[in-house]
Amino acid sequence: MKSADRHTYHNPRQMGLNVFFMPRKFGFYYELMGLALFAAAWILVSYVIFSRPQFSQFQGFLPGPTFRALISAFADERFWLSVFTSLRRIVVGISLAAFFGIPIGILVGFYPRVQGLSYSAIQFVRMISPLSWMPIALLLFASFESAVYFLIVMATICPVILNTTTGVRNINPQWIKMAMNQGAGNYQLIRTIVIPASVPHMLTSLRLALGVAWIVLVPAEFLGVSSGLGYLINDARDTMEYDKLMAMIIAIGILGFTLDRLFQKLQKTLRWSWNE
Amino acid sequence: MKHPAPRQPQAGITRRTFLQTAAAACSTLIAGTRVSAKKPPLRLGYLPITDATPLLVAHGLGYFSQEGLDVERPVMVRSWNILTESFLANKFDITHMLFPIPVWMRFKQNIPVRVLAWDHTNGSAVTVRGDSAIRTFADLGGKQVAVPSWYSMHNLVLQLGLKAQGLTPKIQPQSAPLAPHEVNLFILSPPDMPTALLGKKVDAFIVADPFNALAEHRFNARIMRYTGDIWKNHPCCVIVAAQPFIDQHPVVVQKAMNAIVRAQAWCRENPTETAHLLSRDGERYLPVSQEVLRRVFKPPDPDLLVHPHWKVPRIDFQPFPFPSATRFIIDQMKTTRVEGDISFLSGLDSGRAVQDLVDDRFVLQAMDEVGGMAPFCDCHMGLPYTREETVEIR
Repeated sequence: MKSADRHTYHNPRQMGLNVFFMPRKFGFYYELMGLALFAAAWILVSYVIFSRPQFSQFQGFLPGPTFRALISAFADERFWLSVFTSLRRIVVGISLAAFFGIPIGILVGFYPRVQGLSYSAIQFVRMISPLSWMPIALLLFASFESAVYFLIVMATICPVILNTTTGVRNINPQWIKMAMNQGAGNYQLIRTIVIPASVPHMLTSLRLALGVAWIVLVPAEFLGVSSGLGYLINDARDTMEYDKLMAMIIAIGILGFTLDRLFQKLQKTLRWSWNE
Repeated sequence: MKHPAPRQPQAGITRRTFLQTAAAACSTLIAGTRVSAKKPPLRLGYLPITDATPLLVAHGLGYFSQEGLDVERPVMVRSWNILTESFLANKFDITHMLFPIPVWMRFKQNIPVRVLAWDHTNGSAVTVRGDSAIRTFADLGGKQVAVPSWYSMHNLVLQLGLKAQGLTPKIQPQSAPLAPHEVNLFILSPPDMPTALLGKKVDAFIVADPFNALAEHRFNARIMRYTGDIWKNHPCCVIVAAQPFIDQHPVVVQKAMNAIVRAQAWCRENPTETAHLLSRDGERYLPVSQEVLRRVFKPPDPDLLVHPHWKVPRIDFQPFPFPSATRFIIDQMKTTRVEGDISFLSGLDSGRAVQDLVDDRFVLQAMDEVGGMAPFCDCHMGLPYTREETVEIR
C-alpha cells in the first residue's frame, strides 16, 4: 500500500485507476526515466527477437528503421493530413461521447431508479466489441466518415457513463443532506453540487475514453476513408512495411501522450479545493 | 450564355465585387446543368488488390467521364465483409466481388444482386515458402493452408486440386491432429498471409495478387501454382450491381460497362502502364509499389507453369461471363467444404441459377462497341461466346 501512503484519497474505494488518472504528484525526472526504461525494453526485446536470421525480413520493427521511417514520414504531407484527420475523428468522437455520456452518467448516478433500470443494459452494451457495430454503422450512416465517428462513440461512451456515475455516487453524502436540509430541490442539487463535484471523474472518464478511441481508430479506418494514422497502419500491413507500421505506432503514442497531457492540465485547472 | 454587359467604371463597384457577381452568375449556370442531369455521382468500391484493376483503370484513364458519367474516385475498403456490407447498405453502385459471394447473396440471402460481367480472369496463386518442399498439390497432405474467405474462388480451386490428389480438406483447429491425407484449411486475412507463412503458422496460402507478388518480393516465397494454370482462364472477381439500381439507371450501367470493358482492353495492351497507374508511384489506388505490381502484370515464369502451352497470363482481362464457367462454379460450390450452412445450394439448378444471377445485356453491348471478343481473345472466333472449361490438375 505504499502508493496509497503517498497520495491522499478521501475515498479509498476510488483507488484502482486513480493511481494513474489523478493529478500527478511525482517529478518529471521519474517520467523521463520511465520512458527511457520503456525504450530500452523495446530495443532489447526487438533485438532479441528480430535480429535472428529467420526474421531478417522483419527488421523494420527495430528502432533504427522505425525512426528513419518516422523522419521520412515527417517530411510527407500525407502523414500530416493523416494526423489531422485522425485527431479530428478522435476529438469529434470523444466530444459526442461526452455530449451524450455525461448527462446520462449524471442521471444514472443521481436517481437510484434510473440506475436500476439502466444497470444491466449498460453492462451488456459495454462488453460488446465496438467493431461488431460495423455493419450497423454502415447501414445507419450515409458517409463512411460518420460511420467512423459512430464506432468511436460506441467504444468510448460506456467508460464515460460509468465513470461519471461513479463520480456522482461518490459525492460526500453530507453535502447532499445539508443542501436538502436547506430546501434544495433535485435540479438545484444537480446544478450546484453534483456536477461541480463530479467534474474530476468526468475528466478522468475522458482520459480513459481517449485511450479507447485510439484503439478503435485503426480498425475503424478499415472503412472507406482515404487518410488517417490507422489508414496508414493498414497500408503498411497491406504492403508488409513494418518500419512504417512501427513509425505510425510511435506517432500515435506521441499524439496520445500530448492529448493526455492537455487533459491533465485541464484537470488541474478544474480542481476545486473543497473537492479534494 | 449571356455575357455581362460592359459596365462603366463606377465608384461603388470594385474589381472584387465584379468578380464575385460574375462567379455567382456562372455558378448558377453550372448548378442549373447539374439539376437538369439529376444523376447522383456513380459510386464505386474496391479492395486494395489487383482484382479491382478494371474499375480503377477505367477511372484513372477518365473512361467513365468520357462516357459522360459523373463519377467519384473509387472508395477503398479493407475487407470483403466491409465491401459486401457497404454494397448492401447502398454505399456503392458498382463493385467487384469474388464470384461465389454474389451466388451466396442471391440464392441464400435473396439479395437482388446481378453479375454484370467478369472483372478479370486468373490472378491468384498458391504460394509456399522459398525453401519449402511443397511442389505439387500431392505434397500438401498433412499441411495447414490459409484461404481468404470460404466463399472465394481460392477455396474452390484449392479444394479442386486437393480432391484431385485424393486429399481430404478439413476445417478444424490448427492444433488438432491431421492425418497424412488430410489438409487443414482456415481463414486468414490476406495482408497477414505472407507473414504467417514466414512465421511457419501456415505451410501454404492461396490468395489474389499483390499478396503473392509481395511474398515473392519481400520474403523470397515461391509460387507453387498459378490458379490460371489449374483452371484455364477462370473467372475470379465479377462486376456486380443491385437489381434496383440496374432498373432505375440502365443508361448509367451501360455507360459504366462500356468504360470498364474499354479499360480491360487497355490493360491487356499496356500491362506495364497498368502497374504504374495503380501503384503508389502512379495514381495511388493500391498502396503497393509499381515494382511489385510489375511482377503481377508481366508473363509468369514458364518454369513455374505446368501447362505452358495454355499461354495463360498471371492476370488477364475478359469481360464476357461464360455461362459454362458460372455453372461449373455453382456445381463446385456444392461440393466445396466451407464453414457455414450450404444447404441452399443443394436444390439449386445451376442452369437456372445462371439466368437469375447473370445479366449479360450490358456487357454484350459494350463488347460490340470495342469489336466483340477480338480484343480479349485467343479463343475460338467461330463461336466466341461459348467455351469449354479446361480444368487440369497435376
